[in-house]
Amino acid sequence: MTIPASLEPDEKVEREALRTPSVLEARNVYKVFVARGKARTALRNVQLTIHRGEFVCLVGPSGCGKSTVLNMFAGLVTPTDGTILHDGRAIKDVNTRVGYVTQDDNLLPWRTALGNVELALECKGVGRAERRERAFEYLSRVGLKGNEELYPHELSGGMRKRVSIVRTLVDDSVDVILMDEPFGPLDAQTRLVLQDELLRLWQGTGRTIVFVTHDIVEAITLSDRIATFTGVPGSIKQVRNVALPRPRDVFHIHETPGFATIYDAIWNDLREEILKERGTDAGA
Amino acid sequence: MPAREWQAQTHDVWAHEQPLLVHEQRRSANHRRSQALRVFAVRIGVLAGFLVLWSAASGTLIDSLFVSDPISVARSFVQISLDGTLWWHLKITLLEMTLGYILGVAVGVGLAIVIALIWRAEQIVRPLMLGVFAIPKVALAPLVIVWFGIYLLPKVILAASLVLFIVYFSALAGFAAVNRDLIASVRVMGASRAALFLKLILPGAAPYIFSAMRITLPGALIGAIIGEFVSSNRGVGFLIAYASSRYDTAQVFAAILSLLIFGLILNTIVSRLEKHVARWRADEPQWSRR
Repeated sequence: MTIPASLEPDEKVEREALRTPSVLEARNVYKVFVARGKARTALRNVQLTIHRGEFVCLVGPSGCGKSTVLNMFAGLVTPTDGTILHDGRAIKDVNTRVGYVTQDDNLLPWRTALGNVELALECKGVGRAERRERAFEYLSRVGLKGNEELYPHELSGGMRKRVSIVRTLVDDSVDVILMDEPFGPLDAQTRLVLQDELLRLWQGTGRTIVFVTHDIVEAITLSDRIATFTGVPGSIKQVRNVALPRPRDVFHIHETPGFATIYDAIWNDLREEILKERGTDAGA
Repeated sequence: MPAREWQAQTHDVWAHEQPLLVHEQRRSANHRRSQALRVFAVRIGVLAGFLVLWSAASGTLIDSLFVSDPISVARSFVQISLDGTLWWHLKITLLEMTLGYILGVAVGVGLAIVIALIWRAEQIVRPLMLGVFAIPKVALAPLVIVWFGIYLLPKVILAASLVLFIVYFSALAGFAAVNRDLIASVRVMGASRAALFLKLILPGAAPYIFSAMRITLPGALIGAIIGEFVSSNRGVGFLIAYASSRYDTAQVFAAILSLLIFGLILNTIVSRLEKHVARWRADEPQWSRR
């Protein structure tokens, strides 16, 4: 079990985090990939515990295996050694109790926005009337009312992203949402708006979100805890609490007291790793 | 398209801009119309040039016994159209071709689905399928006639054989081309194998299957005609063979002309159908844009 290293010891946050049961857990996870006959260690002894209802960001140098960890939580990749647990039980096959938002929208181009949101419910066997109603409701929550019948190519990048997020949230049987750099391809303004919307959608639902990003500001804005990865082979270098109050003002997060301290701490963790990898100074 | 309407609504226009917009809109519409007209005129010109050249060469450069001439071909075409000969033969060829085409597409897609669902089956049968694909079906025509008689069936089978393999290989390529991340996303949603196939992989491969269907359409016609060449007493292939045995080249060309027109009509029908089924696609191909 990983003990979150608090930057400014906030015992209450820490104790609460430890008291709530873990939803996802990676125990001594190793992953070796073989490409063109060459074996390479991608993950080395990853230890990570995600508690129920928290928002955790994974940050790290590119190629460090953050996405692989996410794929393991989704049951799409099996560890070479170690265990991945969901509610204390080992994940053996595809984990259908998580929602997965990938970097690409991954919407079905021949289905309308509504049809795409309904897809997850269809797969779980929810009845036609109910799934229609719920899809409509969730789409209107992200301001897509009136656009339900549009095909993905008729939607903007931000709209498509909203659909692919809502597609995971609409399914009640899903208690963990995994997000792999979902806002990466968006422009800076749309990103902020979507971060704000995501926080509003998530707040008070009790759902757990594991969010991969390479943007430190995004990680601080969204999360309760940030796990920093080392460079290849990836392992957890540091886990820090983000003790900023909620609800957070996405657009003025920089001005929140304590922001600069946590930003510097995360950047310091990350900088060493980037330096090691590049062999040059990445800037202080 | 709703997305465009939305753009038009949010684009606010100052009063004095209005005439500019109208002017530019009209200019662009005129431009497009005149371009289309020009392309059409050039097409007609090329066709007319060819016909004039044919007319001039026939009887002077080349013996008209071999190439006939446009006027005679037109006369023959009108004649066999009016006396019902053409239609009588054409509808038999049409029947053979349609049945063969449907059979070829159905078996091609069906086989691809079955093979795709069985573990490693594609890899195992690949050399066999490629080998059979490589055999010129024309070479099998006499054998097919021996096996299946001289009536409808052998022509249907020959037509199907020229459709089946291309549709089969295209369908498999289409299945394989479905984005892996997309497959992973839908699996995480809890889709069963059947649901995954029906909701994602089959519709994802539809553009591949449709393009193969368009490409193989003339193939079905070739199969039917070849079958008629080898052995029959009816169909456009028979009409051509019979006319050519009488050195009636005008009628040969008239029959070929009917096939050309017929082929164009069929192609238009399939294109329309494809457009209707794939109406979710943007104007430009979306497959490369992930």
